[in-house]
Amino acid sequence: MREIIKITIALTISCLVAGVVMGSVFIVTAKAKKHNEHLNAQQTMLGLLGYGKAKSAPSGLKLYNIYRYIITESESKYLGYMLPVKKGDRTRYELLVLDLKGQFVSRHSLDILPEATIDPKDRKTALKSVLTPPVTITYADTTIVASLNDKRIAYLLPGEFPGFKTFIKAMLALDADFKILGLEIIEHEEDPGLGGEIEQEYFKNQFKDKPLEKIKKLKVIKEPLPEKYRKYLEKGKWKKGTFSKEDIAVIQKNYQDKDIYALTGATISSVSVTNGIRNMTKKFAYRIKILDKVIASRNVPVSF
Amino acid sequence: MVKRFKTYSVIMGLMMALLLSGCETEHRFIKKVAFKGDDGIAVTFAAPVDDGWAKDISNFIVSEKPDPDIMLDIKDTALNPDRTKLTISFKDSLNQNMPHILTIKRIISKGRPQGTATLTVKKLYFGYLLSILIGAMIIHNFVFTKYLGLCVFFGTSQKKSTAVGMGITFTFVIVFASLMSWFFYQFVLKPFRLDYLQIVVFIGMVSLSVQGADTILRKVNPALFKAFGVYLVLVIANCIILAVPLILADNEYNMVESFMLALGAGIGFLIALFLMSSVRERLELANVPVSYRGLPIAFIVAGLFALSFMGFSGMSIF
Amino acid sequence: MAETTKTNIQLFINGLLNENPIFRLALSMCPAVGISTTVMNGLLLGVAVIFVQVFSSCTIALIKDYIHPRIRIPTYTLTIATWVTVIDLVLSAYFPVAYKAMGIFVRLIVAFAIITMRLEVFASRNRVITSFWDGMGMGFGFLLGMVVLGAIRELMGMGTLLGYDILGFRPLLFFVLPAAGFFLIGFIMAIFNYVEIVYKRKTK
Repeated sequence: MREIIKITIALTISCLVAGVVMGSVFIVTAKAKKHNEHLNAQQTMLGLLGYGKAKSAPSGLKLYNIYRYIITESESKYLGYMLPVKKGDRTRYELLVLDLKGQFVSRHSLDILPEATIDPKDRKTALKSVLTPPVTITYADTTIVASLNDKRIAYLLPGEFPGFKTFIKAMLALDADFKILGLEIIEHEEDPGLGGEIEQEYFKNQFKDKPLEKIKKLKVIKEPLPEKYRKYLEKGKWKKGTFSKEDIAVIQKNYQDKDIYALTGATISSVSVTNGIRNMTKKFAYRIKILDKVIASRNVPVSF
Repeated sequence: MVKRFKTYSVIMGLMMALLLSGCETEHRFIKKVAFKGDDGIAVTFAAPVDDGWAKDISNFIVSEKPDPDIMLDIKDTALNPDRTKLTISFKDSLNQNMPHILTIKRIISKGRPQGTATLTVKKLYFGYLLSILIGAMIIHNFVFTKYLGLCVFFGTSQKKSTAVGMGITFTFVIVFASLMSWFFYQFVLKPFRLDYLQIVVFIGMVSLSVQGADTILRKVNPALFKAFGVYLVLVIANCIILAVPLILADNEYNMVESFMLALGAGIGFLIALFLMSSVRERLELANVPVSYRGLPIAFIVAGLFALSFMGFSGMSIF
Repeated sequence: MAETTKTNIQLFINGLLNENPIFRLALSMCPAVGISTTVMNGLLLGVAVIFVQVFSSCTIALIKDYIHPRIRIPTYTLTIATWVTVIDLVLSAYFPVAYKAMGIFVRLIVAFAIITMRLEVFASRNRVITSFWDGMGMGFGFLLGMVVLGAIRELMGMGTLLGYDILGFRPLLFFVLPAAGFFLIGFIMAIFNYVEIVYKRKTK
């Protein structure tokens, strides 16, 4: 009997010690993790807008986050947009509720600091306090609006769509007229060397400069990439004098209206990315138009 | 005579229950709703509906569940001859992996209104479960496609009898351990935000399951214990048995899905062991160069198997 | 087995060559096959394993006199699991890209037979310093194996080493596929065997 008690005590002490060690490491690293994630996201976004080590971001550049939620109240569904608005010279957040047809329903001021909106739990608490229960609030997505000196220059859309293996997380940058500025693949589990090539420049850059009308009908061509086009796409490998200004103009004119060339041995991955981008852009363009109409008609003093 | 009647009525009752449960929708007038082909939805009504009403496409609103504000473009509708089946065709093909919400407004049948119905259209859940099972078994076979559990794999695949014994023991332990881990994860770790204790807790569950299986087997079936007892200890050192709870925690599977995953993993391991042992038994009698005898040639054979299993990748059922 | 009589350096080299975990002891092969696609991956997982092995060995060597014999194995498992969780949290916070490349294998370090075996066979019977060197030897043996495999696979498969383009083209994409991991380990093991046979013949 004494043996069993000794064993149990020893085990319990070891478990507690282990728990304490792990718990403290967790607390220390959790903060660093969030901070690093945020930094990485910022870097990706600035990179997509064309700023990086070579060209640093100007001080007039500001990024605003719009959070979209689906609000279900008994039988009806509504769209809720958490928007940054100008209050004096500070930024605060407001909730704009629209019905499924895009008609204005209600508007609420939110009690949340702009820095705290990054935490989904804080956002939910703020939303719950202004909406009358019983109500279900589901997070839908985030859009980042980039404005330079108070003029909208780009939209950054983080999105996730199914790929060949599991999911592909990407960030798409659109300019103010919904033309693609750039694409960044953030996370994927595709095969290295095959589907993993979606990270390469010669695939991602094919999406650049495609206008909205082309994106809506974007498809994949099952043909190998023409050699000259590939050299043009791999912008990182350009040596001095590879392409003159006329060359670039000619290539752009030839390929701007073409569909996406598939990756060798990774047709399904290419199709997944193309479909994902097409769906993301179509849905976003539709929604932002409705949102802008309501913002204008109700004179909401948005920051972007 | 009475006995037969009783059995028949029970069977009939069961069949009715099955039929009705398969066909029940959220509205009494709609019997069944399902995806049809690439770009359509088929609705079955309880009685014939009016032509005029069915032809008006504004009576139908369809959207994907996560995007209720984006209504899909309907091309046209078509009724079958006896007017109980309606097929709605869309301009673009449907993404059938997402559940869709279909709203049918002001149904008019034989001149009388039947109300408005809001239904969810989705693929069979059973198909999804089956795809997890077969996925874990073959497409994402834990030994050949995910490279887990190799130590034990090479150690016990020398003879068919040991291989099959290990495989069966493993399947039992992994199903049991996964279910226990699932319970712990859902009801203890998640609510208290102790996610980082996953590793410790899961390995604890595994040890407990093995210990439990050991004790139970000893008491209940000593003969079986003699046959499988030694493998139980090896199960703990197996990467797969820790990988399955980690996967089901990452993917947030519910209980039935976890069960399917664990079962598939166990059966897949059994299949891999069986295949490997069949080849290795033959290899014992073959003329292998001295340096390659034993493990090296086994690795090369495993490599060939891995190559062939790659052919399954990307397969999707349902 | 009584306390070891080897010197610290001998222990270290033992782990590297004589009892190399991957090629000689044939343990911990799961990551060797799955993750050794590039040198960087192999390096990172090797470092993680060294960390867990060394810290676990030292912890067990420190508390070996207080461990009740009947709960040996649970204690080893608990120690390893704690250190694995620690390195898992640290990696995911400070090196997220590397962490994602290694996928599930960091958390699976706890199931590596090599670490438990080393604790049972060595750390529970020796002092802290000797256990430290044994752990380093084993860990570095693992790291060496992973890096060698990773180098071969990355060079032959993608033509790069540590991300730098060496060949400028891709010889055989096959090597990046995990099936090649199996083949390569088989070949290298055969080479080790062959060397041993020749060595034995020479010393006869």
